[in-house]
Amino acid sequence: MLLYGSIHSTPPGMAGEFNLAGYRALLAADNLQALVNTVAISLVKTLLSITLAILLAWIVARTDTPGRGVLEILITLPFFIPPILTATAWAMLGNPQVGTINLAWRWLTGSDGTLIDVYSYGGIVWHMMQYSTPFIFLFVVDAFRAMDPSLEEASRMSGATRWQTFWRVTFALMLPITTSAFILSFIRGMEAFESAVFFGTPVNIKVLTTQIFDMITQRAQPDYQAATAMGFASLVLMGLLLVLQGRLLRGRSFTTVTGKAYAPNVTRLGPMRWVAFAICVAFFALTVALPVGQLFLSSFFQFFGFYQLDMLTLEHYRSVWENREFWRAFGNTMLLGFLGATATMVLGGIVAYVTTRTTWRGRRLIEVLAWLPWMMPGMVLGIGFLWGFATLPHSIPIYGTLWALLLAYMALGTPVAVRVTSGAYAQIARDIEECSRVHGANWGQTMLRILVALAWPAFAVGWVLIFFGIMRELSASILLYVPDTQVMSVVMLKMWNGGKPEDVSVVGLIMLALVLLFRWVQLRFIKRRISTL
Amino acid sequence: MRRRKLLGLLAAAPAIARPAAAQGDDWNKVVEAAKKEGKLVFYTASIGSPFHKKVFDAFEKKYGIKVELLEARASEVRERVRVEQTAGRFLGDLHHNGSTTTWLMTRDGNFQPHGEIPNIKNVDPIYEPDDVKIPAEVISYSLMVNKNIVKPDDEPKSWKDLLDPKWQGKILSDDYRALGGGAVFFPVMLKAFGREFHEKLAAQKPVFSRDIQNSERRCARGEFPLYLPFNLQDLNTLKGLPVKAVVPAEGRPYVRFDISMLKNAPHANAARLFMNHYLEPESQLVFANAGYAPVVRGVVEKTLPEIRELLSTKAMGTTDPPKQDEMLALAKEIYK
Repeated sequence: MLLYGSIHSTPPGMAGEFNLAGYRALLAADNLQALVNTVAISLVKTLLSITLAILLAWIVARTDTPGRGVLEILITLPFFIPPILTATAWAMLGNPQVGTINLAWRWLTGSDGTLIDVYSYGGIVWHMMQYSTPFIFLFVVDAFRAMDPSLEEASRMSGATRWQTFWRVTFALMLPITTSAFILSFIRGMEAFESAVFFGTPVNIKVLTTQIFDMITQRAQPDYQAATAMGFASLVLMGLLLVLQGRLLRGRSFTTVTGKAYAPNVTRLGPMRWVAFAICVAFFALTVALPVGQLFLSSFFQFFGFYQLDMLTLEHYRSVWENREFWRAFGNTMLLGFLGATATMVLGGIVAYVTTRTTWRGRRLIEVLAWLPWMMPGMVLGIGFLWGFATLPHSIPIYGTLWALLLAYMALGTPVAVRVTSGAYAQIARDIEECSRVHGANWGQTMLRILVALAWPAFAVGWVLIFFGIMRELSASILLYVPDTQVMSVVMLKMWNGGKPEDVSVVGLIMLALVLLFRWVQLRFIKRRISTL
Repeated sequence: MRRRKLLGLLAAAPAIARPAAAQGDDWNKVVEAAKKEGKLVFYTASIGSPFHKKVFDAFEKKYGIKVELLEARASEVRERVRVEQTAGRFLGDLHHNGSTTTWLMTRDGNFQPHGEIPNIKNVDPIYEPDDVKIPAEVISYSLMVNKNIVKPDDEPKSWKDLLDPKWQGKILSDDYRALGGGAVFFPVMLKAFGREFHEKLAAQKPVFSRDIQNSERRCARGEFPLYLPFNLQDLNTLKGLPVKAVVPAEGRPYVRFDISMLKNAPHANAARLFMNHYLEPESQLVFANAGYAPVVRGVVEKTLPEIRELLSTKAMGTTDPPKQDEMLALAKEIYK
């Protein structure tokens, strides 16, 4: 459908002609500029995030830094906060005129200058990093934990320094998961919208998604042809990245979980553990405490950012509590989240098994297909879902039901599910599987008792990522929902547009509470599993 | 295959004939038929408006007909309607959107004639009702001024006062290069003051944003002393903040929202009844008190005093739908 849209002058169902005008439009100067901006911003933020995430993951999983159990939960929190809320909070903290940080800076130094300006390339990168760092962290932290330390010990015994060991053994073994996280994060950066529209548009910084938004929603006559063509251009770009990753990893083995018993090694940092602790706390303070503090504080005042005693109120909590539409949407979203995340992880686990553990012909094609939903910007994909589901025969009752949303969410979550599980499978030696089969277990038992059992922390991470991805998804939801199947993201958009950002803050805090609960349960399970391994 | 097509046509026939059949009947029969339908599906580009909800609630209470809302952005609603109709899924009854989108969809054949609506006689003729659409409410645009920063004497009295060098870099504005309030402001000022006005305004280096709610609060927090164009209906949600709406001497740009009946609407009688309800003075008063200009006569006079003063100002001009994309292109050329 989308391919048709990109080479046809009108959307499906309308009279028009086939041509390449959509692709020609990509060569316009501002589109090329947007492409360069997008790649540069995404690359910079991914490199910075991956460095920071690996450092944090190593600290949490492999050192004796105090309080790392709590830190692990706190570090991941920013990922789960709706971006529009953190953007609003940062706009209040870092605007050049009256931003809290700049006011404090002027008060402290007596200068009338500006310390930070979030309306800039730096602001966009910083805001995106708050999402990509915990995202990558979630990806790599369990891989660090699941690593057999004997390889590192061997390196140290052979005379390598701590740094050489980290670089040549630890990091090298993490290549599949790190490159997967890099690519997912880079792709996410290419498709990020909120940061760019919030901090880039006011200073005329254009990226692919703001251009697509412009083509679809900001013109009298939406230009679906150019928008879908741009979607395909980004798909090709990201496809090239995947080919690169394949070449990088080809012919190498990354198994660290073998039949031999091992205990995850903890590096004793000595006094340096307090430096590590400070790094984690600083990350938490900057990315969580500051913006969430703003949200929390603002939820008790009549207006976001106006802290006057006479404006203290619990009205926003009452408003959300009494909002029947919100709670109906909350119920739908929870249902879709549980079903969607579970079904997607099962599907992703199977796809990952086929692509990493079998020699079936065509498995590469399945792998590429599983990537597709992430290689196409969400706004374009949303249109594709609408075109696809609405034009199904009426005897297939999907359009206008929760099924449409569920299927769309599963498609959108599959790349994460596949990457998370295939990264984990790549670390598990085949001999354990073979051992199970030799001892008489059938394929299903082996799958459940060996692969799923060993890769289960990764399953849990994938499940949480997909669940909260579903809670936030808007592009497809707004085009597929009907009055009976409203979801939270749509209701939050209504609250925002209806001039109630404070109510959105309350919803954001409810989401955060859920995250804390989920992460706590998840980490308790992981710990129990590891202690039984 | 032919048999299936014929069955499809037969199945669609009652829906097509429904409004026509009701046309000759008296209004009471329409009301009864609407109550029997029991439901109305309303597609709107007005997202999260508490004022519209009041009018829907009053309709449900008065007639016992449930209103189901589908809210999305203008182009999203339009594409849903187009795709649904192309696929033979006639789910929506009424469509509520800006006059440009309504004009485009009328051209594309997405609507059907609404039939007789008694309250159309009350509509102010400048809002041009016809057999396909009725005017719904009118968004008026003013200037938002931060009262803590701008003294009353310094407030712009004319739109041309924005060109005073003292406002350079101090104007936050909705983007003129994209659909929305900015795209209404641009052609109205162009028509009133010519291209030179915009070239001089561009030299003032206005900062563009597309998030209206956030922009209003940025102005209220003092990041910028002026924000434009400011939707008058948002004044209600900002009560208590140090901002005020100023309508310059030349008047206020405006844009109309229309309601039209979607092709093959499954609840056509409920749709007609709702259109009539929307044009009742009581419904229009809800919008007027919220800051929208009412489309029926005799309502402005009954609005709250502080709103009445603003709505009594001159309606300066609006967009010309066929020229919308041309205007956006010109805005891109001037505001680089």
